[in-house]
This record gives sequence, structure tokens and C-alpha cells, in this order.
Amino acid sequence: MTEYDYEELGLVAGLEIHQQLDTATKLFCDCPTTIREPEESERSFTRYLHPTKSELGEIDEAALEESMVDREFEYLAYDTTCLVEEDDEPPHRVDREAMETTLEIAQLLDMSVVDQVNVMRKIVVDGSNTTGFQRSMLVANDGAIETSAGPVGIEDMLLEEESCQRIEETDDGVRFSLDRLGIPLVEIGTKPDIRSPEQAREAAERIGMLLRSTGKVKRGLGTIRQDVNVSIEDGARIELKGVQSLDDIDDLVRNEVRRQVELLDIAEELAERNATVGESQDVTEVFEDTDSGVIEGALSSGGKVQGLLLSGFDGLVGREIQPDRRLGTELSDHAKRHGAGGIFHTDELPAYGVTEAEVEALRDAVGAGPEDAVAIVADDPETAELAIDAVAERAETALAGVPEETRDANEDATSRYLRPLPGAARMYPETDVPPVEPDVTEVETPELLTEKVDRYEHEFDLGSGLAEQVAYGQRWPLFEALVAGEGVDPTLAAGTLESTLTELRRDDVPVGNLTDEHLKGAILLVDDGDVPREGIEDLLTALAENPSLTAEAAVEQEGLGGVDESEVRDAVAEVVKRHEDQVAEEGMGAFSALMGECMGALRGKADGDTVSDVLRSEIQKRA
Amino acid sequence: MNAGDRVRVERAAQTYEGVLLPSSTPEHLVVKLDGGYNVGIDREDASVDVLESDVYDVESAQDEQSQSAIEFDDDLPTVSLISTGGTIASTVDYRTGAVTAQFDAEDVLRAVPDLAGMANYRGRVVANILSENMTPAVWQDLAQAVHEEIEAGADGIVVMHGTDTMQYSASALSFMLDTPVPIVFTGSQRSADRPSSDNVMNAVSAVEAATSDCAEVLVCMHADESDDRCALHRGTRVRKNHTSRRDAFETVGAKPLGEVDYDIDGESTVTFHREYAERDAVDLALHDDIETDVELLKFSPGMDPSLLEAAAEDSEGIVIEGTGLGHVNTDWIGTIEELDIPLVMTSQCLEGRVCDRVYDTGRDLLDAGVIEGEDMLPGTAKVKLMWTLANSDDVADTMQEPLAGEIQQRSTPWL
Repeated sequence: MTEYDYEELGLVAGLEIHQQLDTATKLFCDCPTTIREPEESERSFTRYLHPTKSELGEIDEAALEESMVDREFEYLAYDTTCLVEEDDEPPHRVDREAMETTLEIAQLLDMSVVDQVNVMRKIVVDGSNTTGFQRSMLVANDGAIETSAGPVGIEDMLLEEESCQRIEETDDGVRFSLDRLGIPLVEIGTKPDIRSPEQAREAAERIGMLLRSTGKVKRGLGTIRQDVNVSIEDGARIELKGVQSLDDIDDLVRNEVRRQVELLDIAEELAERNATVGESQDVTEVFEDTDSGVIEGALSSGGKVQGLLLSGFDGLVGREIQPDRRLGTELSDHAKRHGAGGIFHTDELPAYGVTEAEVEALRDAVGAGPEDAVAIVADDPETAELAIDAVAERAETALAGVPEETRDANEDATSRYLRPLPGAARMYPETDVPPVEPDVTEVETPELLTEKVDRYEHEFDLGSGLAEQVAYGQRWPLFEALVAGEGVDPTLAAGTLESTLTELRRDDVPVGNLTDEHLKGAILLVDDGDVPREGIEDLLTALAENPSLTAEAAVEQEGLGGVDESEVRDAVAEVVKRHEDQVAEEGMGAFSALMGECMGALRGKADGDTVSDVLRSEIQKRA
Repeated sequence: MNAGDRVRVERAAQTYEGVLLPSSTPEHLVVKLDGGYNVGIDREDASVDVLESDVYDVESAQDEQSQSAIEFDDDLPTVSLISTGGTIASTVDYRTGAVTAQFDAEDVLRAVPDLAGMANYRGRVVANILSENMTPAVWQDLAQAVHEEIEAGADGIVVMHGTDTMQYSASALSFMLDTPVPIVFTGSQRSADRPSSDNVMNAVSAVEAATSDCAEVLVCMHADESDDRCALHRGTRVRKNHTSRRDAFETVGAKPLGEVDYDIDGESTVTFHREYAERDAVDLALHDDIETDVELLKFSPGMDPSLLEAAAEDSEGIVIEGTGLGHVNTDWIGTIEELDIPLVMTSQCLEGRVCDRVYDTGRDLLDAGVIEGEDMLPGTAKVKLMWTLANSDDVADTMQEPLAGEIQQRSTPWL
């Protein structure tokens, strides 16, 4: 990947981090924050949305584009969702636990909390909210975090409701799932203080660590999303949405910088060539006997081919601007956005079954010279016209440089056009929820995970590796409850919760079934000496395979309870007898060879110290 | 410093810049920040600089400047849109933070462009109130307005009404008017300022019903939770049975009279499941006299008969919502015997017919002069008693005779 001099390019970036909170109930109703499978849905219903004006009398551009097409939205409901998610009951008051957690985060980010939090409606008419808006509130402003390249300011923090999970496109619209709707979500926006791809990643990591320090954020895929705002000098502000992995952030920024640099280059070259965008026209005739499956398919179902002359664009439509993405891909994104499958353009033709002769005929039909390019869309007449107009509009902006827009992050750290940048006009007050006056004085500042690692090392004598595993893992609240609350040996608790569980997972034991109750019960039995340390793996395996059992019941069922010393002595004596020749010959030298066999004979029911003591004395007796 | 000014507010180390909005509490300044968010700032600790006056005209920001240019089409029927206020035509009040009705019927056309091309419209505002503030006097104004609109040539009437008391107004018009055209009440359960409002589909479906052949007073609201069908309920049999759902309205004791199969592309269809009064079957007539001094009293265990005495004091008639087949505590019977005004018995079961001939209490109530309200809904019975007292010489007889579908002589709730 080309490394640019980001300072010279004037790179300015900011982050928006969206983190789901792990509260007992949703932000505006008393449903659990549980994610479900679509197959578990019990009922569904369909709705349409209509854009409305904000209280300042403006309709948002992004909202307007969404509403160009009447789409039917289907929603899947569950026994864990209620009428509030269905927009058939007014929202309840703001969830207290969510607000308290947000205030904790505000403290960690050194922010000032507003005196009165006002709940707003952020218009979103893509169906992802049954209401047609997302409830959102600004809770705090003006904080900062440290990075190795200097501080990054925090502009604001919002507490908002998570949107519906999109399941799939349907014939008439989109199917959504209601389970995720209403889970509390904090959105943290940094100031545009970030100056390099590495700093973007570091800032995101730092904020992620601070969030996890509260112990009240959800973990796992999709529970945290990062948006990155990127611009370079003479470029444009681009909002990159839906980055799922922290590891991608620096590459995403690099790729976006490259895209803007390339688009500026293209604009310069287009200016030199006095390039222009023509009017679209029907070029169906050219393709009447085509072998291109895509075009033939569109034409045979009553469609047409709409062509667009791009004067002076030859070679530039096919110019790569991100790995495996060209200016043509950008044009195509806009066509797709308006319902078409995509475009063909002369920089990539002949191909896809379109022949050299057809390309020549196409050029003739629109009057294209060797300096020019032509783009075509084949679809039903209405879609073809809408799509080619969108292509023309995007081509026009290529003459000027980089258009401001919202883009969707792809898995390979490139991005594609999503929609225009949302404006400020998409907000109006949520009158169904009274404002909240947050009480900051009652909020405790949580211990940072970095501080936790330190404390585990010194207070509990954990090795630094294990301390970090526990602190950054998901089970530190249980660890602390066991160690501080129950007086369990820290090494036993940490080792079981991290190393043992990891090993069992590698052995395909379904450790996902283990609840905190299971783990606590098993560790306490070991700590009390009722089950030997060596038995914990068998015990946890039994519990994972039969999650309905308690730890005590599992011990009973599997016969994992400790054995008394006489049983140990009997078992050891038998082993020693079997090897009496070796013992007579080697004396204590036979110890390590026999120890393993003794442990095996006792199948983890006795702890190693006892067995070794007994074995030692049995050998001495014989020697 | 006024709402609409661009201001800079400083409080402690924080600076907030944005447009000042009207606040719902005296202790806070509410500022709309440039990102669109509103925040409240303690007025006492804040210092405010006005950067620019009147950046926004907050009060009239929702008003559309352009007039709707609707052309008259001879091939289309004419529908009168009559507005009484309510959620279907409501907007946010920034002073109280509450939703209030501020639109007239013309605004509804602008708010629901989907109505264009379905009919020629006449617009009229009878009231601008939330339906909990509805009064019998407004029912009379409404009946007179509908009468005038039909006389003026309307082929159908759509009444936009708040949902809380829609069933009472619909009942009132059912008794006050002999109508040759459909009179369709509609409203919305989600306010019109939300993208998910049910107002568009309800209004479109109501206009479909108003141009249909059924010349009755109907209520047209969502049939289920989906934006797919509106139910058409007879105005005297309908009841709001849920506080918030879109499909809150139900026909009690029967299936809805009909339904509108909603199509977003303008191909909605109306079907009826039972017999109805056909268009132009009767001549237009208005009987809008009404006796307003009628009370509806709901009996519950432990209730003192003195409440009945108090209710009867200034009343010309009383409807009781009794228990089961139509009962009250036997201790009430003495008080009832002494009343010299009509007393109509209905049931809080809502479903089913009153029958005071089964148990002793019922027989004693009949002996005390109670009129059995058949299977009438208690609210409908109240409206009917108001109307009957002003329009009939034999109250008991009229109350037991079906006038506008309010009494079903055969109990067939599955139809």
C-alpha cells in the first residue's frame, strides 16, 4: 500500500464509536436486551414510512433520497419484544441503568455533562426504526483521551436506541428484526484531531478500553461499530460507516486518503481535457442482437439500455482509486442505489459478452470520440433512466473532485457509496419522553482496565499475562466477586476462568453453555477442597454438556468428589505392588514413573499433593 | 433574547452555541446545537449572548408557504374533509412540548399528498380541539356542517377526529343525520409528525370509504398492526379498545362492517361483509336537537347509592354501566325506585345483551323502572339517550328500538 505524507496532504480524521450497553432492559421499554434468531420470531407485521419536516421546517436530503422509492418494511417480533418496539405504544422513561453507565463513561472521557438531557428524534426512513426516527440524546460534551501522537478531543457523547437488525431484502422492501431495536447505544464522537491512520486506530483502541472498563458494555460481533470521518485538503468530508474491526481502521483511512488523492488527480486531468457529461439517451438499438446475458436479460423482459456520453473521460473511468475499485465502480454504486444492477463502461468493454462491434456502434450512437467514454445501464425503462441520471450526477461531481458523502466500509477496508451526508435538519424533539436532569454526583468512576491489570498483578500475585487476560476478558466481574466476595484463591479463579476455559473451548467443549452460576459453583467446590483441582476440567465439561445441572449435582452424577486418604492409599498400594520389582530396584527413583499412573488410577479424584505424599511413603515402606 | 435567536450560552467552562428554542421548564434554556441536538442549560448559571436575532421563525416553521393548487376534475367524486383536530392533523407545541392540533383540512391535503387524484376536495374546520375536549355542542356543530356539505353537493364526508372520543361523535352523527352519502370518521394513533404515522393510510382509506356505496356513519382505522387494511366500523358499534395500538378500534358484538384493502400505489379496494344502507336510499335530514343533561355511571363493588342520587339531581336521564347481565347492588334499588327520570341499563361486559329477567336483582330493577339497553355499548347508549330525550315522546320504546345499527336484534358476533 502506498504510504503518503499525511501531514502534507492535510489529513484530518475523527471517529464515531457506537457501543451497545449491556443493560438489563432496553432504553425505552422493559424488554430484555437479548439478540434472537429470525427463526424464533412469533409474528410479523408490515409498515410504510413517510418523511416529515423537522421543527425548523426542513426535510433532510438523506431522508428524501430514502423515500424516493415506496418500500414496504416487514418486522419480525419475538416473545422478548413488546409494543414499544412495534411503535404501537409510547416509549417509557429513559432507562436508569443506561443513563448511569453513560455518565460513568462521560467521567472516563473527562467530559462535562449537560444540565438537562433532551431526547431527540433523528429522522431515519430506511425502515431500520419502526418509528421512522432514532431516539437520541446528547448527554455530555468536550472531553479528551491521550494517544502517543498527542491528545484527541471528544466532541460529544450521545445515548441512543439501537436500530433494527436488517435480515434481508424482500420483493417489496426489506425485512428487519425487532430484537436489537431499543438496546441502549452510546455514540462517542471525537473532534477532528486525528492526523494519521495509526493515530485513528490507537484512539479507537483507547476508547474501546475505556468503554470496557465500565463492565457494562456488550461484547462480541456487532456490539461495537466504528465510523470514521476522513478528509484531506481540497478533498471532502467522508463519513465511513460500519467498521466492525478495530484492526481495519488504519487501512480504511489509508484507502480513503488514496481514493481522495486519485479523485483529485482525475478531476485535474478532466479539467485539462475540458471534460463534460452529456445527456442520457436510449441506445437499445445497438444491443438488439447482443450476446451479453445481462443486457439480453433486461431487454427480453421489456427493458431498455440507456447510454451516457462522458466526454473526455476515456481511460479515467477505469482508473483504480482503491484496491480493485475504479471511478467506474463509484458510478456503478450510484446506479445500484437507484435499483439497477450496475453499469458497463467503455473502459472495461468489450467484455461481459459485449462485442467490439457493439462498443463501436455504441460510441457512434452517442457521438463519442476516442477521448470519450460511454456508460450504459440496462434495466426496466424507469430504473434505467433513474440509474443513468444518478450516474450522470456522480460523473458531474468527478469534474469538481471529491463529493461529500456517507460510505459503507467493505470487508477489505475499501468502501462504497451509501448516501448523501446527513444534515443537521434531521432532528426534532421526542415529546413522548420528558427531559432528564442527570445527577453526576452519584456516579462512581470505574477502574480502568489498565489499572485493573496492575492491581491484579500486585494485589493477587497474578502473572502479567494472566492478569491482562482476566482484566480484558469478559469474566472479570465474576473473578472479582469470587476473590473479594468469597475469598477464593486468585490464581485458582483466574486460571479457571481464562486458561481452563480456553483449553476446554479448544477441545470443543460447549463452554458457551456455562453460566456465571456454573463457574462460581465449580470454583467454590474446588476452593473448599470438595473437588480436587485436577477434577475441575471434568466438572466444567459435565456442566457444559448438561447446563441444567448445578455444580454439586454434576459432581454427584460424574463421581468427581474427592476420595479419602485410605482410598488413595489403596489405589497407590496397588500400583506400587504391580511394579514391586521396579521399586525394589530403583527405590525413590521410580517415583515419577509411578506418580503418573497413580493419578490416572484415581482419575482426578484426588489432588496431586496427597497422592505424592502417599506414594512417597509406600515406596519408602518397600525400599 | 427570544426563541429563534442564535445565541452563545456560557456555563462554567462550557460554551453552547445554537438557536434558542422555547423551553418547557422555567429553570432551563433550551438550545438547538448545530448538530441538531437540543440541550437544556440551567438558566441561573448561564450567561447568554445573542449572536443574531430571529434566525428562525420557530412558531411558523411548520407552515407551508405555498398554497395547494388542486384542480377540479369532473370525473371525480367530491369529498368534504372536515377537521375537528386530533392526532391525524397535529404538530408539536414547543412551549409545552406536547402534541397539539394546528392544521385545517387544507393542511391535511398538503400533509397527505397521497390523497391527490382520488377525489375533488372541499375543506372545512369545525373545531380545533383534542377529542377529550369534545362536547355535545360540537357534535351539533359537526352535524350541521356535514348537513351543509352534503347539501352543497359532497358525495362523501371524511371527518378527521381525535381518537379518544371518536366513537361518541360517530354515534351522535349516526342519530342526528339521515344521510344519503357515506360519513367516515378517521384519525390516527401515531401523530402526523412521525414518519410512521398511520395518518396517511387511514386518510386514504377513509376517502375510499367515503366514495363507496355505503351511506352510513363509519369509523375507518387500521384493522391490524400492519399498514395493509383498514377496518370500517359502524359508528354506533365501535369502541376504542386499546390506548395506543393502531388497531385500537374494534366493532363490539360483530365483525367490522367492511374493510379497505390498502394499496400504496393508489389501487385500494373497499369491501363490505354485511348489509348496509346504500347511497341515496334516504333523503338528507338533520335532527340535531339534544338533551345534554345525561350521565353515564359505572357501577363497581362498594359504590355508594348517594353517587346515583347526586348524578340524578341535575339530570334528565342516566345510563348505568352495570355488572354482568345488567345489575347493581340490591341496596341501590330503593334509590332507583325514587328516581323520576329514565334510567337505561347497559353492561360493563361490553359484549352481549342486557337481560334483567334472569336473576332477582334484575327483576327488581325492572320493577323499579329500569330500561334494558339491549346490547348497546354504554357510551352509545348515553349518546342515544341524549338524542332520544330531545327527539322522542316514548323514551323507553325508542331506546329499545334500533335506529342506526346501535342495537343488534340477533346476537351473532361471528358475523
